[in-house]
Amino acid sequence: MMRYHPLTIIYRIYQLIKNSLILGILLFVVKRNSDFWLFEYGRYLFIAGVLLRLIYIVVSWFVETYEWDNHTFQLKKGLFIKQTSTIPISKIQNVTRHTTLFHKLFNLTSLTFETAMDGEDDSIAFEVVSKQHATFLLELANIEEEQLPKQENKQQEQAQHEAEVNDAEKKVETDHVIHFEPSHQDLLKASFTSLSFLAIIPIVMGLYDIIGPLLPDSDHYQGIFYQIIDSRWLIIMLSVVAVVIAIIIGIVRTFSRYGKYRISSSATHIYIERGLLDETQFAIEKQKIQGLEIEQTLLKRIFGLAEVKLISSASPQSEDHAVSVNSLYPFLPINRAYQLMEALLPDYYVEESMNRLTKSSLYMKLLKPSWFWIVVTAGLIYFQPTIFQMDAAWWLLSLLLLLIVIVNRILDYLHTKYSISDDQLQWWHGGLTSRMFITKRRRVIEMSYSQSMLQRIFQLASISTMNRSTPTRIETINDVPLDFAKTFHHWYLQRQKDAIYQQKKLEHN
Amino acid sequence: MNELEHQLSSKFPKARIISETIGNIIGLIVLAVLFWLDYYFDWPIWANWILIAVLLFVVVGTIWSFIEPHYLYRSWRYQISNDYLQLSYGVFTKEWVTVPMSKIQSVSTSQGPIMRGYQLRSIKVETMGSSHVIPALEEHVALELRARIAEFAKLKEVDE
Repeated sequence: MMRYHPLTIIYRIYQLIKNSLILGILLFVVKRNSDFWLFEYGRYLFIAGVLLRLIYIVVSWFVETYEWDNHTFQLKKGLFIKQTSTIPISKIQNVTRHTTLFHKLFNLTSLTFETAMDGEDDSIAFEVVSKQHATFLLELANIEEEQLPKQENKQQEQAQHEAEVNDAEKKVETDHVIHFEPSHQDLLKASFTSLSFLAIIPIVMGLYDIIGPLLPDSDHYQGIFYQIIDSRWLIIMLSVVAVVIAIIIGIVRTFSRYGKYRISSSATHIYIERGLLDETQFAIEKQKIQGLEIEQTLLKRIFGLAEVKLISSASPQSEDHAVSVNSLYPFLPINRAYQLMEALLPDYYVEESMNRLTKSSLYMKLLKPSWFWIVVTAGLIYFQPTIFQMDAAWWLLSLLLLLIVIVNRILDYLHTKYSISDDQLQWWHGGLTSRMFITKRRRVIEMSYSQSMLQRIFQLASISTMNRSTPTRIETINDVPLDFAKTFHHWYLQRQKDAIYQQKKLEHN
Repeated sequence: MNELEHQLSSKFPKARIISETIGNIIGLIVLAVLFWLDYYFDWPIWANWILIAVLLFVVVGTIWSFIEPHYLYRSWRYQISNDYLQLSYGVFTKEWVTVPMSKIQSVSTSQGPIMRGYQLRSIKVETMGSSHVIPALEEHVALELRARIAEFAKLKEVDE
């Protein structure tokens, strides 16, 4: 029986302070003179809540324990109601190792094991754990420490070739291969495509909110404002400065988020490592990957970039939602993305030649009524709003929306490509944002195809597949020829070939 | 289009029409009470409009509920093999569904009072991500099918 690391208490208190800081400032600093009942009682509630939580944090440390044997983890918790949960190690889908500044301070780390089980107790989290114990736990879960990229390498910038030598050694020692590390050029491209320089807008707005009321005389302040507006040169200068600052902020944000990024793999696992200050290492077993998705937004398509996502049955519990753990890297050059997919998952291959839709699919797509447009237009006709003092705005808006809908459909027609091979399906679809979906036949847990009345006229159909994920992943491709839908159906009926193969494989083990 | 093997019980349209009619009658009674309340308490005009709109829906729905079961019956097909459960149905949009047996997690039959009168049962099949209902089968057919699906679904794939 083991207790969690004692510093867990400190870590949780730190989290508590971090989470309640804003509310605390609001209650005791900003609104300290307010008699409004919400703030008045809120203060007492706040203090009571924080105190209770503090007590809970300390007491729960004594109550929460864990133990393990060769096959399972057993977690015990609960102050008044004792709770014991047993989690089989074989159900662990992926591992996240998150090292925040707090952890670095004490030379510690955190570990989260995620499973594909339903319910509340579907993950095992070690909020604070010593590095040695983390190694031990990882070994328990069959993930060798050497496979998780080593941290020591990061401490100083090493000479380039030295690092390469290290990598080469690694390749020999384990079958651990590094597939991707972004170059500065990649990152520059990424910082423009991510539009992260637009982050300056909320920052400036926030500053304005904070500084505005503090300025001594608002009339005087507005006076300056008008003076600025009067002089064109000043405006141009300020705009240039603002744009430069915005771009710099964008680049800094991108570098801090995606700068230190490494995708690597061993025979059984994929490892993603990222973050400059808050380090996160993520490992997922290749076996558990249900499919892959490549996503291209309009902007990324212009820059030739794409995001590769892994579809797995574990529910990602990312603490910072800025970067999804299921995403390999959001700004990969498209060819690199294909190579990376094939390198990481040798089972998968990217089919170059795919079928395209015929003209009748285009007619179908254009003829299909757009309910969204109809509802919005009906609303516009009823309210007839005037925007920018334009009486005609409502039908212009309706027209603009119609145009967007049509462009989106034509793009969808152009982007839609599909193919099936022995045991793999692959298709592209989507208008402004296009997606490629690729999966193995045995990973598809259900399929259906359907035909609406309009599709019957054009001899077209829609195909849907279902993959395990949380929630269940349903992918649909619309308006493909009916013949292909039938071919697809027959192909799917051959599914047990792959599945039986799987069982045989198990027997060999 | 090569159709799947089996159809629903031919009693399905009758049973469906009866149960839907009962539902519609209850709906109409509720609506009539609301209209009376509207008249008696002099509700605002928009309430009146909403009630009229609802009435329109219910009337169209009631007429449709006499026609739909026949078409639905004609469109419904299912087929079961060692490896797959296949369904196809739909009056306007036709749907073909294929579920591998190994992915089926539970199968159950159920029977309401009207279906009991006609000796019918429905079968519900649940998988990891979806559930499907075969609406009306003869009692012995349903029980046999349930047993067969349960038998075939025993096999598990190594994919967890």
